[in-house]
Amino acid sequence: MNENLFASFITPTLMGLPIIILIIAFPNILFPSPNRLINNRLVSFQQWLIQLVLKQMMTMHNLKGRTWSLMLISLIMFIGSTNLLGLLPHSFTPTTQLSMNLGMAIPLWAGAVITGFRHKTKASLAHFLPQGTPIPLIPMLVIIETISLFIQPMALAVRLTANITAGHLLMHLIGGATLVLTSISTPTAMITFIILVLLTVLEFAVALIQAYVFTLLVSLYLHDNT
Amino acid sequence: MLQTIIRKYWIPLKPYYTQVYQEIWIGMGLMSFIIYKIRSADKRSKALKGSSPAPAHGHH
Repeated sequence: MNENLFASFITPTLMGLPIIILIIAFPNILFPSPNRLINNRLVSFQQWLIQLVLKQMMTMHNLKGRTWSLMLISLIMFIGSTNLLGLLPHSFTPTTQLSMNLGMAIPLWAGAVITGFRHKTKASLAHFLPQGTPIPLIPMLVIIETISLFIQPMALAVRLTANITAGHLLMHLIGGATLVLTSISTPTAMITFIILVLLTVLEFAVALIQAYVFTLLVSLYLHDNT
Repeated sequence: MLQTIIRKYWIPLKPYYTQVYQEIWIGMGLMSFIIYKIRSADKRSKALKGSSPAPAHGHH
């Protein structure tokens, strides 16, 4: 049972070849690049979605922050599509791997922080001390703010990993329970099945929400630093 | 193939890679440094475990 539960999180290899690379590159072919002024339905629909997200997300940034639009929109498209594809049965979700989420979080967070230190050094350093703190508390608060700054990439990565992994695990468990209960007591199995359906709906929402939260937080860190 | 890659990706994205994402490249350097540190620590601990199979507490 333990082996079965975590088997879906093992990095997939096909006869010794890491097909994880193909799996990560797969969502790319679901987003064809627009090469006309007026495209077909799929591309127009994706363009409309992207514009909606872009306007919602990048309004609060200044000129320097808006240079990151491409990166942030690519990020939310990638995480959203990867999470949604992971809801298909027997599929592998790259965002369940902490290594990948750290690989996304650390460069983006470091980029935002270094941008802040490079262009607005005094303001970036001033972030370590909130306004209006009483003087005796200053040393401790600087330490706390430093720790909270360095925890940001860890929190970004672990949040995404834990949410997606936990959702997948819950679906495995409740699905398994439903299957076992059908032979024991059908009404209980029905209830468990309804729980499974509700959980699947939740997972769809979580897939999109987590993508949004990740990108929003990166954009917030950017906003603080530009 | 290299020319296609250059024409499709490098030329349109050159200002991003050279100017906008400078700090992100530094962040990627930091990330690769962290990965290197983790891998070397793992290798070191595996080598240590492999070379000394005797139990650690049985020497007193």
